[in-house]
Amino acid sequence: MKLLSILLLFFTFNSFAADEYSCGSIECDEFKVNISNNADLQNGLSTYMNYCYGCHSLQYSRYKRVADDLEIPIDLYVNNLIYDGSKPGELMKISLSKEDAVNWLGAYPPDLTLEARVRKPEWIYTYLRSYYSDSSRPYGVNNLVYKNVSMPHVLEDLQSSMTENEYNKVISDLTNFLVYVSDPSSRERKQMGVYVLLFLLLFTSFAFLLYREYKKELK
Amino acid sequence: MLQWINSRFPITDLVERHLSKYPAPTNLNFWYLFGFLLIIVLVMQILTGLWLMMNYTNTAEEAFSSVEYIMRDVEYGWLLRYLHAAGASAFFVLIYLHMFRGMMYGSYQKPRELIWLGGWVTYVLLCAEGFTGYVLPWGQMSFWAAQVIISLLGSIPLVGEDLATWVRGDYLISGITLSRLFAFHVVLLPIMLIAVVFFHILALHEIGSNNPDGIDIKKHVDDDGVPLDSKPFYPYDITHDVYALGVFLLFFCAIVFFFPGGGGYILETVNFEPANPLSTPEHIVPSWYYTPYYAMLRAVDFSLFGLTAKFLGFVTMAAGIAIFAALPWLDRSPVKSIRYKGVFSKIFLAGFVVSFFVLGYLGLVPPTEIKNILAKVFTIIYFSYFLLMPIYTRLEKCKPVPERVPT
Repeated sequence: MKLLSILLLFFTFNSFAADEYSCGSIECDEFKVNISNNADLQNGLSTYMNYCYGCHSLQYSRYKRVADDLEIPIDLYVNNLIYDGSKPGELMKISLSKEDAVNWLGAYPPDLTLEARVRKPEWIYTYLRSYYSDSSRPYGVNNLVYKNVSMPHVLEDLQSSMTENEYNKVISDLTNFLVYVSDPSSRERKQMGVYVLLFLLLFTSFAFLLYREYKKELK
Repeated sequence: MLQWINSRFPITDLVERHLSKYPAPTNLNFWYLFGFLLIIVLVMQILTGLWLMMNYTNTAEEAFSSVEYIMRDVEYGWLLRYLHAAGASAFFVLIYLHMFRGMMYGSYQKPRELIWLGGWVTYVLLCAEGFTGYVLPWGQMSFWAAQVIISLLGSIPLVGEDLATWVRGDYLISGITLSRLFAFHVVLLPIMLIAVVFFHILALHEIGSNNPDGIDIKKHVDDDGVPLDSKPFYPYDITHDVYALGVFLLFFCAIVFFFPGGGGYILETVNFEPANPLSTPEHIVPSWYYTPYYAMLRAVDFSLFGLTAKFLGFVTMAAGIAIFAALPWLDRSPVKSIRYKGVFSKIFLAGFVVSFFVLGYLGLVPPTEIKNILAKVFTIIYFSYFLLMPIYTRLEKCKPVPERVPT
């Protein structure tokens, strides 16, 4: 019941704020998605696996798919980024159980495979950079984008040990990684799309010429 | 060999009558390309649907993840899914244009009433296909849109609640509902759709196409009985159609390969969250192709004669779709085409088009007081095109229709 009322509170705040600002109580920061650079995505993956993956699964994605797409040698990947002895072909599920999560954190941390499609990338980018200290909250932090968020500021140590630009880069890479993992075929799709459109352009040109020839005949 | 077949089944004659030598009016314009494109899209939906079905699981537990499995683990599964999703939107774009063509040129008039009705049934079936298909990914919007739409049945006096429960197979939308909608989507509705489309095309080829001038080209025929103002489908129309197909595919593939979500209009962002019966999304919005009717549903917010607002809204919405079927009998004009109809027909048709777009927009956005008034006004304009038609088509002065197609 308590959980339900907290959830309800979230929704009312969210819906109240959503009408005025694009990111909770503020405007979203500008963020340009770029998933063409594998080094950035690898960096984002490593932040994700070290800081987020303890609680947030990527349960629709497979370890090996990510390794292949981001061009990470598989043994390096298995030794450094798979912590629970899963096989590379397995789905990226976490070991945190629903029961434990609700007991410890009050809620089950959502799966984030599709987060970048559910929310806008600029939302994620802004959200992870908008924590502030608030002693009235259980973890001592609150968020401008997601009011009374139940997630602690996991990246706090990282943020305090870095310059603002360095931290922005970490979050930018992380956001780009989440964009990649939400639709892993997008790079292949766009490459293929160029060829498809070129072919169709050629096809349509010839179809047009043929149509024009026959049209002449009618007159 | 061909002779052997022909003496048992006149295939050559059939192909010539329905395809190669089918006499199409010489003045057909680009509005006459959408029927052909609709057939292509129907075939594409059936084929991509078939392959999607091979990997989709129709249970509440597995549906959502099986769609992601298709997107990630099935070879070119993402392509099949994006083609199928964008194909649904393309289907509606094309059918709305195709219907508008018929309204503009009076193609529903005598003797094409049954062709029009066949097309109307196709449209209704397509709406059902769209709705049932939308539920299958089992995302948040799948669940809640199904919840809203099926609960509309519950507004019917006396039998409503029982009817809704019967349709759902449960007291709430559940896995039972999902699997029956799946059965409708992949078996029942496609079979009906193919049958009705077959009838629609067969009837058209027996009666012959209308044309932008609404001239009966069968009045002037040559010695072989071929209309003078016609040209054979092959090669003159097929080359036009194939050219149109190229143009259509350019747009379509640009969307599929570069904007597959269509800015949330083809694949809604909320639907990337798995269905959760305990949390209602902020705004429940149907797919864009239903939003004109959704706006009508919301516009009716008053009860009347002891009937609830919800029920009246539901009736209004259903009437908005059903009323197309009455068009052949509402139009009392002596001429078919808008080119020769009077000024009232033009004004009311323009009013209809504007109201369709405005209602479509209003159905997408959250309601406000002003928007609700607008929705009411445009619902009235929408229906006035149909309901006043018997009056204004008789009052107005039409231009004389030429005997032969003008060159």
